[in-house]
Amino acid sequence: MESTNVLMAGFGGQGMLLAGKVLAHAAMAEGKEVSWLPSYGPEMRGGTANVTVCVAARPIASPLITTPQALMVMNLPSLEKFAPKVMEGGLIVVNTSLVHRDPKREDCTVVKVDARHVAGLAGTERAANFVMLGAYVAASGVVAPESVEREIENEFTGRKAKHVPANIAAFRAGVDAGRDVQETAAQEQDA
Amino acid sequence: MGYIRIERAVCKGCGRCIIACPKDLIEFSEEINERGYQVVTYKGSPEECGGCTLCAVACPDLGIETWNNRGKQTFTVTTGLTEKMTHYCPGCTHGVVHRIVAEVLNELGLIGRAIGVAPVGCSVLAYEYFNFDMFEAAHGRAPAVATGAKRARPDTIVFTYQGDGDLASIGGNEILHTANRGEKITVIFLNNAIYGMTGGQMAPTTMPGQRTTTSPFGRDVEDTGMPIKVAELLSSLTTPAYIARGSAHDSKHSVRLKKMIKTAFQHQADGRCFSFVEVLSTCPTNWGLSPNEASAWVADAMMDYYPLGVIKEPAKEPATAPAKA
Amino acid sequence: MTKVLMKGNEALGEAAIRAGCVHFFGYPITPQTEVPEYLVKRLPEVGGTFVQAESEIASINMIYGAAGTGVKCLTSSSSPGISLMAEGLSYIAACELPCVLINIMRAGPGLGGILPAQSDYHQATRGHGHGDYQLIVLAPASVQEAVDLMTLAFELSETYRNPVMVCADGMIGQMMEPVEFPTEGRGEPMADNDWALTGSEGRERRIVNSLYLSPEDLDAHNRKLKAKYDLIAEKEVRHELYGETESPDLLLVAFGTMARICKSAIDDLQAGGAKVALFRPITLKPWPYAACREAMDLLPADAPVLNVEMSMGQLIDDVRLAGEGSRRVEFLGAAGGVVPTPEQVAAKIRELLP
Repeated sequence: MESTNVLMAGFGGQGMLLAGKVLAHAAMAEGKEVSWLPSYGPEMRGGTANVTVCVAARPIASPLITTPQALMVMNLPSLEKFAPKVMEGGLIVVNTSLVHRDPKREDCTVVKVDARHVAGLAGTERAANFVMLGAYVAASGVVAPESVEREIENEFTGRKAKHVPANIAAFRAGVDAGRDVQETAAQEQDA
Repeated sequence: MGYIRIERAVCKGCGRCIIACPKDLIEFSEEINERGYQVVTYKGSPEECGGCTLCAVACPDLGIETWNNRGKQTFTVTTGLTEKMTHYCPGCTHGVVHRIVAEVLNELGLIGRAIGVAPVGCSVLAYEYFNFDMFEAAHGRAPAVATGAKRARPDTIVFTYQGDGDLASIGGNEILHTANRGEKITVIFLNNAIYGMTGGQMAPTTMPGQRTTTSPFGRDVEDTGMPIKVAELLSSLTTPAYIARGSAHDSKHSVRLKKMIKTAFQHQADGRCFSFVEVLSTCPTNWGLSPNEASAWVADAMMDYYPLGVIKEPAKEPATAPAKA
Repeated sequence: MTKVLMKGNEALGEAAIRAGCVHFFGYPITPQTEVPEYLVKRLPEVGGTFVQAESEIASINMIYGAAGTGVKCLTSSSSPGISLMAEGLSYIAACELPCVLINIMRAGPGLGGILPAQSDYHQATRGHGHGDYQLIVLAPASVQEAVDLMTLAFELSETYRNPVMVCADGMIGQMMEPVEFPTEGRGEPMADNDWALTGSEGRERRIVNSLYLSPEDLDAHNRKLKAKYDLIAEKEVRHELYGETESPDLLLVAFGTMARICKSAIDDLQAGGAKVALFRPITLKPWPYAACREAMDLLPADAPVLNVEMSMGQLIDDVRLAGEGSRRVEFLGAAGGVVPTPEQVAAKIRELLP
């Protein structure tokens, strides 16, 4: 992998910034260059919150990505705003718990995950962000799932440590949801 | 027999000493000194002076030293000030307050730890007169500068010396918040009800009806509001340790003022927070009065509106309170 | 030394402590607020001082007071707040006091917006307060460089007794990237000197003052300052040349975040054989005029220079000064928090290339 990037978007409070941070930590632990660039401003309260994470083998030039290689969307406004901007042939991970519309990008690989439901089965609906992250990580191969799991452990420490098992379980469930897509993509690349 | 020595070279001929002498032993001489002032002279016989110091206390220019009947020196010029002659107008009480601050710091043994902050206004050159480390600050910002200095060097004794335009007008925000944070500094605030250095404009403390160059028909309070009572205003804050108002217009009040300023610095030396002394002061030049008329005007026109006294002081500490550093 | 993932604003705060600065005075403003939020927690751990001032006017005057007593000190703000510091900075520069300030630029003018911009370029490099004074202005393009330049800022401020501004934009302040700090723990305090106000016990008294009523004295003071600024310009210019550094057909000039975006455009175009270089001033003041002129001289005779900035034509003044009229200087810019994209830069380059 030379370089890749993902735009993670949702409502404030849906944990996109945290998911992006865990991804950035995981890639960093694998020795890669990373950048984590959040949207900031009034939309931090209630509106959309999004973050762009770049992962690359060599130093990252522009952290500002206008045509992301991958998009992870938690809500409909984010889908409508960002799906048209995804790079041709890119990857879109959609949270179908809240988004009931198709991205209308025939050229892209689309992974649909009922993230809240899957997270609920794993232990807590609040971990929907990690279900989405799992699906993205599996579908893109950006980092090893084990790297992310280690960073989830590092993220929830002290009194928050009790949240680790449910979040890792949610992440793994997301990985399972995204794995099929990754295998298909790999086959296409081989061909 | 007591006696006084008048330093003719520094006399500005304001005549405050003449009024101050309880025995009427000082008068103007015929002599004009090098700076063009008509100097005062002792007119009584030697045995009449008791060395009471009131003339020296009244002199804004450190021009008089006194000795009592037993030949003991009763008033010595403080080493807390430099020997540089001030630029203040004849009869201006800045010189009196400079002297008091310097004497207090000397008496409390704090001179070697002192850092003063001069303002913009007539006392902008105070750094030339105070004989210890000094800042010169931007207009109104002295309390912020003092905050930075004291926070960076907690062992120093930091004070600002500000006039009414500097402190009550452009620096209103800085003094309010410095007081409210309880910075461990001392503020000496000279209220002479006018802008001096720029030539006599209206200040926030100008009296109702008082004529200035920007209130030529007298301060119209309907248009400009009533004068700000800074000491009372700051006393409405819970934090500050000590707030008082004194006056430098005559010797008797200057002696009381010195006690206030000493208490203020003592609080700082004891580690207590913000201490503040407002000083009613004269501006004969811009008031258009003689020095002694100006002193009378403070008593007649200002003191009712700006009452003197200690307005706020720390509650008595319980006997078990830990000793302060 | 391990790498940690940090927000630019927090990394700047930590870098200050590593550089030996434990005195912070500041006021909240987006997008730099993480600097005080970080330091208020961190400074007590290293025996430091944190004051939330009542305004930026107060912050910079607290800095004046602290710097005057000979301690390393820091304030931080964003564009409108920096405007309020103009007066204080002029005093600090006039009194030759060392201090560091951070400007995490946001879009103006007026209240403007809170998104990233570079529109305080003139303010930073032309000395926005009154009088003949200059700041040293350092412009990082990454979180790591922000840390490195913070260390340098404290060194330069102490060496030259001059205020130093670390001038970044909201993107660098808000972005997380891996950083490695050059040193562990709290750095060394300022060295003893013969100018700081510490109480005059046992020595001659000292004065920190910028009032010179004699015109001759003030002229002499200004000449002394000018000589210092000339020395800084001679010794402290820093820049980077990127991309095709041998024989480019086009030279970009940009700084900070904008320069990174230009690098992406260059990388994208390089695959197609385009020979493009980027000149990035790291010191915005002093400006690397000679080095920029040398980079321009690598170009064919009639090749243009493309100036790219997140403002409406400020950096371009210095690019033109560097070229001394020898080059056509094209402009690409955006304002208000709109950031020219790598694609837009690439498109403009294609338009200009033969």
